[in-house]
Amino acid sequence: MCHRSHGRVRWLNVTVCISLLGVLTVACGQEELPTTASAEFDSRHNDGQPALSGDGHFLAFVSNRDGNRGILLYDRKQKQMVTLPRLNRQNAIAEAPSLSYTGRYIVYITSDNVRPEIELYDRALQQPEVLTAHYRGWFRNPSISPDGRYVAFETGVRGQWDIEVMDRGPNVESDVPDNLRSRLLSSP
Amino acid sequence: MCLTICDRGFYPLLRSFPAQKTSIWVGFTTRLAPHPSPLPLPVHASVNLRLLLLLLISSVLSGCGAQLVNFPFDPGGRSLNSSFSDLQPRVSSRYIVFVSDRSGSQDLYLYDTTVHRLVDLPGLNAIDMIVSSPGLSENGRLIVFAGSREGRSSIYLYDRETRQLRNLTENLKAEVRNPTITADGDTIAFESSANGQWDILLYNRDGQPLKTLTNPH
Repeated sequence: MCHRSHGRVRWLNVTVCISLLGVLTVACGQEELPTTASAEFDSRHNDGQPALSGDGHFLAFVSNRDGNRGILLYDRKQKQMVTLPRLNRQNAIAEAPSLSYTGRYIVYITSDNVRPEIELYDRALQQPEVLTAHYRGWFRNPSISPDGRYVAFETGVRGQWDIEVMDRGPNVESDVPDNLRSRLLSSP
Repeated sequence: MCLTICDRGFYPLLRSFPAQKTSIWVGFTTRLAPHPSPLPLPVHASVNLRLLLLLLISSVLSGCGAQLVNFPFDPGGRSLNSSFSDLQPRVSSRYIVFVSDRSGSQDLYLYDTTVHRLVDLPGLNAIDMIVSSPGLSENGRLIVFAGSREGRSSIYLYDRETRQLRNLTENLKAEVRNPTITADGDTIAFESSANGQWDILLYNRDGQPLKTLTNPH
């Protein structure tokens, strides 16, 4: 319809065409905008510090939705919360979670003593274990490797924040299945 | 050098403090747990002694389970730790990604624990951007982080193989922070303030929002 040869009508049509195109582009642009309402982990509470398990199956995060501020674990496949017995305790704040590959190990900071400690929670045993009891200084931001062997964290032992890595040893049960190890190293 | 006594026996923990000082530190626990394998009562005194020796050696060899890894310290800023703040480490089996202000601005660094040196990240750090909360895929190829530029925060994904930096949240009109990435690099989660409170969003690596999360309550 843009190909009529009458001067004025032609220009009018061209204008209409351009404006139609413009409307279309804007519409497409809006479609590409993320629809946050359906994509978010929506609650009436503040949720933060997300940590995905290496395989993406679990999402750990910090929330105050149960009255206490603590670490929650969400199973993305079953679409439900997973209970973590003995992880969140009364009069303690657990935060900054990090997950291993299948989400078996969770490291986090817990402050129920005078000094915040780094704890490791083994979901197979449902038991937390303090990793930093024998070390000096203050600790922040722990991170566990997908296999569960290494834990990196910030330490204030030298009077400034430095990075320390803890090796839990070769006897730790790896959380990366053997058949996946080589594939993970080659895939992006 | 330190000698640490811990739960399952004791072991010498080689640990140096390269920052001008060398300290001797002996730590104690109030509870010395018994060896995991229960032994039958010895009949012979010599057998008893031998068993004791064996027990001692095995506990020394097995260690306490967790030990600190000693990475070289370099005041020149070519190693994991420097004379400046080194923050927010994320660890895979080979790499450690972290943030440091050793070059005068808050930048992102990648340390290779196999060859003990920093890895070049061309095109990642920019003069006008403050970097925080990095995360990395298991093989260290993809690095996700929160970048603040001209007062606007975004989640960026850097591909070490193509050397490309991508803004994943260009279309998101909200403040964003604390990103994390899966080991295969397929999924990225982060906090967003889009609804006037902090919520968690999930994106794929192409910057598309994932719609798998529902309200758990």
